[in-house]
Amino acid sequence: MHKRMQKSFFGIIILGMMLMCFSIFATKADAKTYEIGTDVTYPPFEFANDHNKYVGIDIDIINAVAKEEGFKVETKQVGFNGAVQSVQSGQLDGIIAGMTITKERQAKFDFGTPYFKTGVVMAVGKNSKIKSFTDLKGKKVAIKTGTAAAQYATSLKKKYGFKTVTFDDSDNMYQDVLTGNSVACFEDQPVMQYAINQGMKLKIVTKAANTGWYGFAVKKGTHSELIKMFNAGFAKIKANGTYNKIVGKYLGSKLNPALKGKTFTIGTDVTFPPFEFANSNNQYIGIDIDILKNIAQEQGFKVNIKPMGFNGSLQALESGQIDGMIAGMSITPAREKKIDFSDPYFMSGVVMATSTKGKITKLSQLRGKKVAIKTGTAGAQYANSIKKKYGFKTTTFDDSNNMYQDVLTGNSAACFEDQPVMQYAIKKGTKLQIVTKPAVRAPYAFAVKKGQNAALLAAFNAGLKDLKASGTYDDITAKYLGTENKKVADNGKDTDDRSFVGLLKQNKDALVSGFAETMWLTVVAIIFATVFGVLVGLLGAVPNKFCNGLSSTLIYIFRGMPLLVLALFIYTGIPSLTGQKIPAFVAGVLTLTLNEGAYIAAFVKGGIKAVDSGQMEAARSLGLPFGKAMRKVILPQGIKIMVPSFINQFIITLKDTSILSIIGILELTQTGKIIIARNLEGFKVWTIIAVIYLIVITLLTWLSNWVQKRTNV
Amino acid sequence: MSAKIEVKNLVKNFGSNKVLKNIDLTVDDNEVVVIIGPSGSGKSTLLRTLNKLEEPTSGTVIVDGINIADPKTDMNKVRENIGMVFQHFNLFNNLSVGANIMLAPVELKKLDKDAADKQAKKLLETVGLADKFDATVQSLSGGQQQRVAIARALAMNPDVMLFDEPTSALDPEMVGDVLAVMKKLAKQGMTMVVVTHEMGFAKEVADRVVFVADGKILEQGTPEAMFDHPQNPRLQDFLDKVLNV
Repeated sequence: MHKRMQKSFFGIIILGMMLMCFSIFATKADAKTYEIGTDVTYPPFEFANDHNKYVGIDIDIINAVAKEEGFKVETKQVGFNGAVQSVQSGQLDGIIAGMTITKERQAKFDFGTPYFKTGVVMAVGKNSKIKSFTDLKGKKVAIKTGTAAAQYATSLKKKYGFKTVTFDDSDNMYQDVLTGNSVACFEDQPVMQYAINQGMKLKIVTKAANTGWYGFAVKKGTHSELIKMFNAGFAKIKANGTYNKIVGKYLGSKLNPALKGKTFTIGTDVTFPPFEFANSNNQYIGIDIDILKNIAQEQGFKVNIKPMGFNGSLQALESGQIDGMIAGMSITPAREKKIDFSDPYFMSGVVMATSTKGKITKLSQLRGKKVAIKTGTAGAQYANSIKKKYGFKTTTFDDSNNMYQDVLTGNSAACFEDQPVMQYAIKKGTKLQIVTKPAVRAPYAFAVKKGQNAALLAAFNAGLKDLKASGTYDDITAKYLGTENKKVADNGKDTDDRSFVGLLKQNKDALVSGFAETMWLTVVAIIFATVFGVLVGLLGAVPNKFCNGLSSTLIYIFRGMPLLVLALFIYTGIPSLTGQKIPAFVAGVLTLTLNEGAYIAAFVKGGIKAVDSGQMEAARSLGLPFGKAMRKVILPQGIKIMVPSFINQFIITLKDTSILSIIGILELTQTGKIIIARNLEGFKVWTIIAVIYLIVITLLTWLSNWVQKRTNV
Repeated sequence: MSAKIEVKNLVKNFGSNKVLKNIDLTVDDNEVVVIIGPSGSGKSTLLRTLNKLEEPTSGTVIVDGINIADPKTDMNKVRENIGMVFQHFNLFNNLSVGANIMLAPVELKKLDKDAADKQAKKLLETVGLADKFDATVQSLSGGQQQRVAIARALAMNPDVMLFDEPTSALDPEMVGDVLAVMKKLAKQGMTMVVVTHEMGFAKEVADRVVFVADGKILEQGTPEAMFDHPQNPRLQDFLDKVLNV
């Protein structure tokens, strides 16, 4: 006997090892196709188009990168949380799902080059009066499980005194705000903006906060080749314009199609680093050039850039020889008479710079010192204007280099210079530091001749907006000015203890309140469902055709409808029909009452019919009315038959409460989802949740058996 | 003697199946009428229309001057006066023997609990089961159950008793006890309508025997006339089969 067990034990081990080997070979064999998880619906990053094909910025980027690098990808629309967990469990190779790079996620994922800029915004109903976080006190706010936006909202919760309701996808979250159940929602800016552009009746009321970047990710420590390929491919599609075309395809507003494919001649300055200058290969580069080229790619037109000098360009523009001009030109009232300007694409200003070794950081420290300035610049004008006030002297130079040198040698305590020019010099190695905020702000803009080329101007504005949204604008300024680092969105500290005990300790409060909600929901739902079910069941047993029909219909409808559909119908459908909002808990109880009640009705009806018809005849023959016969003779026997079904149904009800997480009820399953969304410990947290359910169900079964024994013979 | 039950032109259809075809039957006060006939002839259905366990399709059934075929009639009141005993006893499985007998009188406020208790014990004594008051239904034999069922019907103090093949489901050695109780009842002058295959009981106790076949009454008369000089060939044939086993 003993030996036999040992044998079969070894057999199982060997079988398991064989399976493992097989799965390793299997993955090796088709290693060329990577499976990448995405969200289900997260426009414009991923969504099903009119032909039910999955498209979007994420999908297009990963496909374009794969094409560049010669590997295959298959995207799987498993939902954001599904994708996160599938990557962690190794079922998927990577995830591209509008996932913000956060410190916590970096502990579990390796990210590729950030590919899109994001930030969290708050949106409210179109006619809502809520303007800021302070208006949220005591109100409900909708968030989406596991998103950076959700974490940001949660971090504000205490300070502003609002409550959160959590949903699994954006649609249900928006619905909750539209129906008025929640007053606001938190969402990533590009997604929210896109939804509003598509006609969603919401409005954004806050500036993008907690800004960060979306990144493509793989499980930490795995698939380094995939990350390398992604980064290489992404650099290529950025360089060849594919990236801009993709962004333009989804964000580009419906612009004048006449522009498409046309070439415009644009004048620019000869040398105005970092805005335009020839690099060592004699190619014109710079902020102006890059912005213009990127906009052209994104909006689908071509440009022919002519470095004909600032004044030369201005004259050519006025005479109509060129279509537009971009040359670090600031908007002034005088110019506006002859020129139509675009939205400003750069905000320049005068800054003060000092030696990195010096101690001067404030204007007030300049008293009695010398200050270097360059002839005829805005910086010189500004310095002269404040000279008296701060009591410093000025030394004038003819070019910037000499001016910087004077500060570096210590002859002058500081110099005044245009901010971008100064930043560029610092990036190139000048050992100065900027110590003031920009003064005398001057907005740079793209220009066309007054009344001409309106379409080009509009395209520039639209393209600039999209460039800023996607983060390409930041990339360009960072390339030349080197200040803006790609920020990692920070959602607070990571907690360290990831053991079962540690996880239980950290999440004790959340688990306890989730458990309490589950139990409360279960108990209330069981009571209502039992009352409803018994009533409908009795209707099915009385000798009246109308009642029988009503009972059968109710059972047919509510037993035939999936619980999930019923929950969504009641929670989001009914308010749309009646204009009357339903609290999630009430909707949840109603859903369970109808669905579980229908099952109860079916077995109550069945239980009554299972009692021998002779019992009823005997009772009636004695002169007992139907009701009395039912109560005294039939039901006591029928209930005995029904008790096991009741116990079964109670257990099912308890388990079914988990489905109500879809409408944002913070019960045990939803609590689990939220915890996992934060710490990504899917296996451990689901184990904890599963054990809690099992313990409760075991207790419930014991209780039921005890009751059954007490009431029965 | 006045008519206790008067059935006129009674028709009962189950869908397209005509079970009773224009039945006329009168049962007098204190009379014991035994209905015999082959299986499926409609005799049980006829009996069950007398307390409206089956609704008549047409015709009239008058009990104590009340037409029970009329939908306005309060059947609960009428049924209080008509006791019924079933082939399969139909004792209430969820109640003890005593509670089975006491249920109707107490629920219908004929008696208070104490009086019902006393009456139940007395009735059990009459049917020879004085010691079974607290027993469960399941612990009784079929014959004992049927005697309890008779006691239960009598508890409402009815003036008519209907018996629907009361001994058909019993082991042969139990039949005698049940028939003995029924004979006792007949002697006390109870008006009884009995559907049975017990020809001995019919001969001995019946005032009148009614032969039903194919949903019609084909012949009726005193036991002597029916058993010794049957007229209808169907009856002759039936008796031939039943008596010469």
